Amino acid sequence: MSNEGFYGSFLEATRNVFQLMLDLSDISDCPAESFSCDEELDISIGVIGDLKGEVIYRFPHETSLHMVNIMSGMEVDSVDEFVTSAISEIANIISGNVLTILAEKDYKCDILPPVKYEADDSKEYAMREAYCISTSVGNVCLDVRLNNVS
Amino acid sequence: MLWKDKYELGVLLIDTQHKELFKRVEAFLQTLRSSASWDEKVQKVNETLEFMKSYVVEHFHDEEVYQKSIGYPNYEEHKKIHKEMVDYVLQVSDEYERSGFNEQLMQQFAGKLLAWLINHVASEDQRIASYAIEKGVAGDE
Repeated sequence: MSNEGFYGSFLEATRNVFQLMLDLSDISDCPAESFSCDEELDISIGVIGDLKGEVIYRFPHETSLHMVNIMSGMEVDSVDEFVTSAISEIANIISGNVLTILAEKDYKCDILPPVKYEADDSKEYAMREAYCISTSVGNVCLDVRLNNVS
Repeated sequence: MLWKDKYELGVLLIDTQHKELFKRVEAFLQTLRSSASWDEKVQKVNETLEFMKSYVVEHFHDEEVYQKSIGYPNYEEHKKIHKEMVDYVLQVSDEYERSGFNEQLMQQFAGKLLAWLINHVASEDQRIASYAIEKGVAGDE
């Protein structure tokens, strides 16, 4: 599958999850270079199986707080354990949806539990792309780093 | 309010339980996220947690009985998702007790529970309703 195919899978999954869980429908893609924020919450989801690597979800703090506010109906003013855990689960759910889409394209993969991303640029990936998704509560960046195993 | 009408399946028993579950999770979050000190709220958090744990198990069981009664084809898969969540709840609860009621553990648990529950009811459970409507077995049992 082409990189565009993977990109489409992630965009589709993110759009579905955001619409379903957050009632956000105005979702579009934008150049990764346009993503910028002062503080961000980076969640990594490991991928194993036909594809191996990780997907890093970069949520600006402001966006994270908005998302948790929509879900909980409560005001949240800092990215603490509660917010980090809720956002990690959303990254997990998006990744799970991506697996379902990839399975339809004959890729058998599994995901590992979400963890806070710690920078590691020592590994090399055949497929490495960053995508930015624009929503009314802010932008989210997905950094996809995968190798084809099969 | 956590509950949204779009989560309704059209099955009275399950919808009533879902509403109750959301109400209890909301009460749990309100207690947990209140500005009171941990010492002041830990007892109420623990009571709400215990109450919610038993309700989750009861609800999952009733929902599985309903799925079986309508011949829902993804019953086993759905049951596995329920079991994984119950295992997670029990594991966290055990760790929480052994930690002497650590607040951070409960904050983490609450964040995951919130997102998991919304996705499960808005997505996984809606597939049960879609199947029931398609097969003409929707409505109250």
